[in-house]
Amino acid sequence: MTNRLPWWMGGILMSGLLLLTFSIFGADRPIGASTYVPYFAGIIFDLNPENYSYLKEIEAPASWEGVMLLGALFGGFVTSVFITKSFRLSLIPSGWKTYKNNSVVSRLLWSFFSGFIMIIGARLAGGCTSGHFMSGMSQMAISAMIFGAVVMISLIITGRLFYNTKGEK
Amino acid sequence: MADIVFVNEHTSGIGDRLIGIVESVIHQEHGSVALVFLIGVIFGGIIQYTRVDKFEKIAGFSILKDTIIPKMLFLTVGLTSIALYFMIEAGGASYHVKPIMLQGLIIGGILFGISMAILGKCPGTGPVSIAEGRMDVLVGAIGGILGGLVFTLYYDDFFKPLMGESLGKVILPDLFKGHETLTVLIFGISITLIAIFIPKLELFDEADLCKLPPDERPDKK
Repeated sequence: MTNRLPWWMGGILMSGLLLLTFSIFGADRPIGASTYVPYFAGIIFDLNPENYSYLKEIEAPASWEGVMLLGALFGGFVTSVFITKSFRLSLIPSGWKTYKNNSVVSRLLWSFFSGFIMIIGARLAGGCTSGHFMSGMSQMAISAMIFGAVVMISLIITGRLFYNTKGEK
Repeated sequence: MADIVFVNEHTSGIGDRLIGIVESVIHQEHGSVALVFLIGVIFGGIIQYTRVDKFEKIAGFSILKDTIIPKMLFLTVGLTSIALYFMIEAGGASYHVKPIMLQGLIIGGILFGISMAILGKCPGTGPVSIAEGRMDVLVGAIGGILGGLVFTLYYDDFFKPLMGESLGKVILPDLFKGHETLTVLIFGISITLIAIFIPKLELFDEADLCKLPPDERPDKK
């Protein structure tokens, strides 16, 4: 019994899921995963959509992604408990301890900060890994290719500067 | 009449707003609520079962010690691009292309890359991590919700102008008129080959491995 799928199986399955989602027999739209976040923020902070043009603009896709997200939480939870058996409560990843530091406070502060700029970045670009990279590149969209290239470069430069890969334990 | 007045007031509760989300999906022509939920379940299941939601995969890629993420992403794109093209030709789907807004894509892409390296998640893999108990990612999600709030509050005044003008919804085959099918095949096959030829590097998490019997540990094979 194996507790994880190889990358090529993941790629084939994800491709099948994207095709189902795009198909007129499925949802007739791409997969996206970042539009729901500002919409949820609007609900939590009780913003009236009538007063905020952005909330009105994203209502339909954000609702669709919101329902999909509930499914993803459920699917992720069930898979982690019964298949990968990786469910456990934790505050700091092992890789952070190896390549950054052992401080939970540092991890949580950086998590908060990076989560904040992640959503601003995704909304400025109009998509994230799902919407641009997977769905957009699959449509050969030039917008997705520009986003993908900028993200890859920014990701690798940040990795170089942010983590300590020399003093490995 | 009273109901309408109530809804228009600024006092509809969180419960009503959540029901509004479900109603919105019902009224869209993008699949039933059950199907959309099922798409999410499969999406979360694939991400969890392939372990690409792990910090060691995404942050590991940023320090070039793990290449599972690019291999899986490129394979997904390579296969889907070809299949989707022929599905659209056959009338079974259509393109939903995002516009080229150069400033937004570049500034957004830089911010997104920085945050992906530090958080070790993206908006799709983050919720799956939270579902398997990663509380640091939950803190990241709270940051994300505040980021979404700031974006919403200052959208008209600041963020929308920052994104710049749209240069149109262009796809690669538009640039090679008359050779659309060939363009798609070359693109799809090249991207698939890139996925296969990226050297396979893996960074493992001891906290997961120690739960496995010694002969099932992928790092020992």
